[in-house]
Amino acid sequence: MSSADNKRTVIVGIFTFLAIVILVAGIFMLAGQQKRLISTVTLTAIFDDVAGLRTGNNVWFSGVKIGTIKSINLYGDSQVEVVMNIEEKVQQYIRKNATARISSESFIGNKNIVIDGGTQSAAPIEDGDRITAVSPLNTDDLMEKLQQNNENLVAITGDFKQLTSRLVKGEGTVGALLTDTTMAQDFRNVVANLQRTTQSTVTASNSLSAFTSKLNSPGGLANQLATDKEVFQQLKNSMTQLEEATASTSEITENLRTASSRLNNSNNAVGVLLNDPKFARQLQSTMQNLETGTEKLDQNMEALQSNFLLRGFFRKQAKEQARQQQNQPAQQPVQPTDTIQFKPSILQKN
Amino acid sequence: MDLDKNKPGTASSRRRYVTTRRLDRIFVELANVYRFNARFFKEVWLPPYEFKEIIRQCYEIGVRSLPLISLTGFIIGIVFTNQSRPSLADFGATSLLPALISVAIIRAIGPLVTALIAAGRVGSAIGAELGSMRVTEQIDAMEVSATNPFKFLVVSRVLATTLMIPALTMFTTLVSLLGGYLNVHQNELTSLSVFFYQVFDAITFLDIIASSVKSVIFGYTIGMVGCYKGYNSSKGTEGVGKAANSSVVTAMFLIFIEELLIMQVINTIRAF
Repeated sequence: MSSADNKRTVIVGIFTFLAIVILVAGIFMLAGQQKRLISTVTLTAIFDDVAGLRTGNNVWFSGVKIGTIKSINLYGDSQVEVVMNIEEKVQQYIRKNATARISSESFIGNKNIVIDGGTQSAAPIEDGDRITAVSPLNTDDLMEKLQQNNENLVAITGDFKQLTSRLVKGEGTVGALLTDTTMAQDFRNVVANLQRTTQSTVTASNSLSAFTSKLNSPGGLANQLATDKEVFQQLKNSMTQLEEATASTSEITENLRTASSRLNNSNNAVGVLLNDPKFARQLQSTMQNLETGTEKLDQNMEALQSNFLLRGFFRKQAKEQARQQQNQPAQQPVQPTDTIQFKPSILQKN
Repeated sequence: MDLDKNKPGTASSRRRYVTTRRLDRIFVELANVYRFNARFFKEVWLPPYEFKEIIRQCYEIGVRSLPLISLTGFIIGIVFTNQSRPSLADFGATSLLPALISVAIIRAIGPLVTALIAAGRVGSAIGAELGSMRVTEQIDAMEVSATNPFKFLVVSRVLATTLMIPALTMFTTLVSLLGGYLNVHQNELTSLSVFFYQVFDAITFLDIIASSVKSVIFGYTIGMVGCYKGYNSSKGTEGVGKAANSSVVTAMFLIFIEELLIMQVINTIRAF
């Protein structure tokens, strides 16, 4: 074989090898994308209508492609059984109470199955499990609702048109606000006042916040009231005592009320004293008589001191007093301090 | 077999034509084609194997055709993508362009364009080469010198086209997809990974298998038509040109017929 033939053979070999590489790479990429090279588990769902779903379409879970449709078979009377190949590694995330619904990859794109929900309380799916199927959204229903929305939109735009025309004409408060300069100025003032009020409110809020933070500071009264159980217990006891004192006060008040009511009556001594004017006059007369009698008794006592029978007695008494007054400064000198010292011996003597 | 000797209107011609002269000619041609194909399948398994000639033909048919077919495929990828965009843009579905390109190129355009270009370039070359060898009696000389001209000339060429057209199809498909990606990237700013994700998302294994089988059949057709037309050419230099021309036309026609039939078969399989 000449060198030219040899070179030609090598080039043909490389050419063929590259072509095979392209083919194999394509096959592997397709297999990888269709999850053919990974271990899968099988899930089934029974639908009333699969809306054009085909074998090989994708299965999505939380927006991630997790498998493909393995087969679609008629089931029962008019239902359809869809068998799905799901990646084994996502098996743990799909719960037995998950639901399958038929969706579309785009408005005109391929159909697919979307697996929704499932709660953590349910166990993960197992190979061959059947999950609940949810009926797909019918395109006719969709269009019908879209038509309703259109009608609503027409009504809304009609109302809006009417509203804007009134605004342009200056009708209503908002219209006046837009067209009347005086009102606009008033509104501006209101807004300015509102702004000032808001600022004041903010300041007050800050002060209140500071105050409450102080209240919450450890050692404060409010904080102790809120946190110290001992203080609370004492407060509770105080409240109990206060309640008892209130009850006693109430009782005293009741007694006083009874006493005062009795004082208003004339059938007892104090009542007569307070309420009977005749008795008052008599008492006044008695007091006057007593005063007169006392004066006369005083005169009689002075006369009695002058009487010779009793003069000796009074002189003797006067001398005794004078002697006592003379002896007293010598026995007990006057203290220069104004403090009073308590002497228990005095009590004992008395 | 020469049917021209039987002039119409004579008693002998009425006896010898089974149907009519033209119909008989077609059936005789079909029989010759059948015999030619059968001889190929017979000779291909029997030694001696002309590896050196097969490699040479693979080089001429495959490697030498690569630049032309790759360039054509690249341009077709760009043009097809660009021309498909407005239709999808009407639906706001330009994001589906990679899927559309994928289905179109892998299922149909890749094998078909490769086969058509190869039919034009390779088929005509084979027809002209073998035709000139026939009219210059080189083939007869080979037969006299105890060399099997069918094995050396036909089997090697048909094998080369049958092996190289699928390989060329792989290159064409890849280059066309890259051309499509270039256009999509320029207009939609789609990344290469997303593009190829969508490309492979739109196809199945059946598409790749069908494309490969199709290109094998196309390759066999190109080689066989070229060889048949050239090997059986006559009437001197005029026959050479006729063989070359006929090789291209017949090969292209058969390629389209085969494309149609294979598509129907694949769709039937896909439905299951």
